[in-house]
Amino acid sequence: MSTSLNSKFVEISHLVKEYPNPYGEDFRVIENFNLNIKQGEFISLIGHSGCGKSTVLTMLAGLNEISDGGIIVGDKEIDGPGPDRAVVFQAPCLMPWMTAYQNVMLGVKNVYPHATKSVQKQIVEHSLSIVGLSDAMKKLPNEMSGGMQQRVGIARAIALKPKMLLLDEPFGRLDSLTRMELQDVIINILAEENLTAMIVTHDVDEAVFMADRCVMMSNGPKAGVGEIMEINFPRPRNRQDVFNDPMFFRYREHLLAFLEQRSHIKGKTRLHNHEDLIGYLSSEDLKSLEAQYQD
Amino acid sequence: MKNPLSYIKYPLLKAIDISGLTFLGPVVRLCYGEEPSVQMKKIGQWIFIPIIFIILFLFVWGIASEKIQTKSGALPNPTKTLQAYDSINTFAKREKLKKEAYEAHGEQREKLLTKAQERLAEIIPQAQAATELVTQEKANQKVKLASQIAPIKEEYKTSKRAFTESQKQRQTQLDHTSKKLHIGNEEQYQSFIQSVKEHQSQTETEKSTLRSIKIKIKEIENSSSKKVEKALQLQTIMAEEQQFLKKQIDQLTRDNKSLKVESEQLKIEENFTALTQVTGKEALKKAQSIVKTETRLEKTKASNYAKPSTLWFQVRRSILCVFTGFLLGSLIAIPIGILCGLSSTFMAAMTPFVAIFKPVSPIVWLPITLIIASGLIPDPDQNPLMKFLWGLPGELGEFKINPAFIASAATVALCSLWATLANTALGVASIDKDHLNVARVLKLGFWSRLFKIIIPSALPLIFAGLRISLGVGWMVLIAAELLSSSEGIGKFVWDQFNNGASDSFAKMIVVVFVVGVIGLILDRIMIIFQRMVSFEGSAATI
Repeated sequence: MSTSLNSKFVEISHLVKEYPNPYGEDFRVIENFNLNIKQGEFISLIGHSGCGKSTVLTMLAGLNEISDGGIIVGDKEIDGPGPDRAVVFQAPCLMPWMTAYQNVMLGVKNVYPHATKSVQKQIVEHSLSIVGLSDAMKKLPNEMSGGMQQRVGIARAIALKPKMLLLDEPFGRLDSLTRMELQDVIINILAEENLTAMIVTHDVDEAVFMADRCVMMSNGPKAGVGEIMEINFPRPRNRQDVFNDPMFFRYREHLLAFLEQRSHIKGKTRLHNHEDLIGYLSSEDLKSLEAQYQD
Repeated sequence: MKNPLSYIKYPLLKAIDISGLTFLGPVVRLCYGEEPSVQMKKIGQWIFIPIIFIILFLFVWGIASEKIQTKSGALPNPTKTLQAYDSINTFAKREKLKKEAYEAHGEQREKLLTKAQERLAEIIPQAQAATELVTQEKANQKVKLASQIAPIKEEYKTSKRAFTESQKQRQTQLDHTSKKLHIGNEEQYQSFIQSVKEHQSQTETEKSTLRSIKIKIKEIENSSSKKVEKALQLQTIMAEEQQFLKKQIDQLTRDNKSLKVESEQLKIEENFTALTQVTGKEALKKAQSIVKTETRLEKTKASNYAKPSTLWFQVRRSILCVFTGFLLGSLIAIPIGILCGLSSTFMAAMTPFVAIFKPVSPIVWLPITLIIASGLIPDPDQNPLMKFLWGLPGELGEFKINPAFIASAATVALCSLWATLANTALGVASIDKDHLNVARVLKLGFWSRLFKIIIPSALPLIFAGLRISLGVGWMVLIAAELLSSSEGIGKFVWDQFNNGASDSFAKMIVVVFVVGVIGLILDRIMIIFQRMVSFEGSAATI
């Protein structure tokens, strides 16, 4: 019973996002997007620019209105944003007039209004130390680097003790070294807190390295889930082990091939695991695949 | 690192940056030996060039003031203006001394009295000497001018004689012609009219020639020499000091508070001893007189020196007035601005009012606010609020806040609140969407969203608005005071305008600079506040 419940911790069904078009039919960005997420699972969402990845994530966060369909998180249909689904935005979005500590405290005070001051303080300090900012709590955002600011953003999110962590291209604006550091920070946090998480990314390596399942979106408009690929590296993950594993390159190739060859195929979702990765297809195989899945 | 001064370099530069005195930055950097050539160039640009232009301005002003003659004398030149500034200060100083004299008692009073008397004894012969000098210089001047005027007078006499002669001649000529006219001969008559015309225009030119010579003589007579002017100035200074000393002595003797109190107390005692000796009607009369003296005594004890307002007192009162109005305006503008920024419906409701009331001039608001203020407080002497304000300790009580003050402050508020309102609305409406999204994810309630996110992020723009408002308010206030006769800088200008003393015009020019400098200081203060609430990337970082 519990496993079946857990396997559908998040249930996204027939999700639609449409924008009004005064000269014709409403413009559908997302159509028939279906996805179930297990508790503690890490999903990476990848697709071409503009296909609606961030739209799905912001709808899950409750920041974007759902046009049709529904999202259930932990037995409850979502209705607007809430601290159970913490978001780390692409820009750090810190309040420039508050220190790192105050920025994190802003949410903590609101989510734990009845906790004593010292407990609130403990929570803030703990979450800042997790992201490695114990020494920079009194700093203002403009005194910190982009990477440090994003760490504060992560600390603010996890301080809420959310059920889900939603990462909207969180490292898109950072250099690759900082990005790797922060990926490790996130992976360590998830290992400790057993959080369910979703990351929207453009980075193929990131999508494979971080996630348990990689959800590949078909092209918009009317984007949906094209393929889902299971990634079965053991957790907690070690960067070197993963990058040295020959499977890493096969996952990567499958993903790249999807983006280049198969992202236009819409209709039924195709499932893949480490045993049936397909990589690049010959043109005949591609045609038969199109014939099989295109509606 | 070795030099301890090096530690304060950056804090110093930061302070300069925050205070907006950026022209000092290069000086500090130069003192620390940072890129001397670059700093010298900046110093040249931001310090020397302005100084050169100020000198140039003073020069042009000096020249222009000689050319511009008005009914109230020439436009005061920089020196005269400086003298007027001095005289304003002297007046203020003397009023302070008089006040001290009024309140002095006991030994101190005697000390001051001997000092004043000594000085007076010293100054009387000096003043006499000055007066003599003036008469002498004037006589000298007259002699000197007489030699200049004599030839012109001679010229005047000869030309006048010549003109009368020629006029007579022309007259007889015309008489002669008129007798020879043939009746009916139109041509002849026409030419006769022509000659009459010529005669008249000739007479006119002769008259104007004489007039211009007369003017020339007057000009020379009136032209004052530098010596006479100097002597007159000295005389005025002496006379003023003499008058001041006499008044001071009055305050130390006849009008002195402690002496008055003493004499009244003595009178009461005397009357009381007299009272105890009599009965009946006589007694009643004496008792009444004692009671009367007692009330007068109480009044004297509570009285203050009736100090006429000095410019600096008026300046302080104006500053209080502008801040009262500014505060009032901001208390209205900021909440309404926030509501406008939060709700487009409220904004739509407010737009017509803003659009209509914003362009209204202070000159229109003032009479309205004045009527309302004096309607609400018809009798300031009996009004509890006024009584409370007048009873406040120190200068606050001395300001004697009255309906005119309230009307001026209200006018300032009505004219200055618009900039704050518009900027607050803009600041609140243009808050970063990301910040609002964060607030939504954190599920912040309305109040914590307002106070933790919306207002802090709008603060830089709000303060930019407040800065404009204070500037507008300061401009409006002077006009409002001028009209409402509320004691303040505006009233000072108005008094000078009506006064017509020899240095009134110069005093008005002094006020120009006083108002300008105070406005500048107010602006700087607001800039500092604005810098303090600004953050990286905020809309209003200057």
